[in-house]
Amino acid sequence: MNAATTTRRESIGQSPRALPNTSSVPPRSLPNDEQRLLARLRQSDEQAFDELVTKHHGALIRMAMGHVGDREVAEEVVQDTWMAVIESLDRFEGRSSLRTWIFGIMIHKAKDRGVREKRHTTFSDFETFDEEQEDAVDPSRFHRSGEWAGHWAFPPQPWDDQTPERLLASQQAVQAMNRAIEALPVTLKDVLILRDVEGVEAKQVCDILQITETNLYVRLHRARERVRRAVETYLEGCQRAV
Amino acid sequence: MAHDASQSVHEEITCREVVEWTSAYLDAHVGEDRKQQIALHLAACAGCGAYVGQIASVRDLVRLLPQTVDSPSESEQVRQAVAAKLRRQ
Repeated sequence: MNAATTTRRESIGQSPRALPNTSSVPPRSLPNDEQRLLARLRQSDEQAFDELVTKHHGALIRMAMGHVGDREVAEEVVQDTWMAVIESLDRFEGRSSLRTWIFGIMIHKAKDRGVREKRHTTFSDFETFDEEQEDAVDPSRFHRSGEWAGHWAFPPQPWDDQTPERLLASQQAVQAMNRAIEALPVTLKDVLILRDVEGVEAKQVCDILQITETNLYVRLHRARERVRRAVETYLEGCQRAV
Repeated sequence: MAHDASQSVHEEITCREVVEWTSAYLDAHVGEDRKQQIALHLAACAGCGAYVGQIASVRDLVRLLPQTVDSPSESEQVRQAVAAKLRRQ
């Protein structure tokens, strides 16, 4: 699919159609700072594009890698995304935020490229999970029967107030969390990066990924739990070492 | 999920159910009855209290993690490609 076709579908789920050139009037539905940024981008202000690339490039690469499983291809996808953004800015109507629109373009391109690249990758790169079947937490941690069925048999050990700070200060802990994120199946990784890393609103995440809010929270929770579990394993290792 | 009303606030919720609702609860995407039900459970269950706190910490931590995939030379390459494209426009 070419860039023009992709980016006309600004509001995801809407059929492609020819949109009027709106370049002279920034959309009023956008916040003022975003309207100003859009006006600069439409004037081909290199500094404005530079700021945009700096802000989103890392997250775009990280997400693209989940779909294509190869760093070089991910870089190509992201570069193609930026080219499409430049070509299609005049057709951006502001019904979504600029960020939602850019990430939507990237996801579309990454999925398209991922399908073509899939034969070159291993099955584990495209691990999927069954949202209906998979429990967020290992069921063996709960009582299976009796009066306490469904309640903790092996509850998590509490973290103290300083634990998050200590985790961030530990290179090993940071690596463990990053590894857990990189190992997520793409459906989980997409929601975690958009919602928690990029801070995109839940509704916008649903628009970008074309999923329901129920799907979003099922996926988001499983992603957060896998990172929590990585931290738990790291902390258990620290305790054993003492 | 936000409008779930399948379980009355008076019914007891299990730890396993609280775990499944945790992220929606933290994002205030649960109905009022479910919210009260979870809050009541959390007031009495240390295990779930610890769990919900840990998920909230993870949510906040992932935003602060130094990203290992960012490479200055690579984003510079993209910046140059963007600049070249803009000049051709």
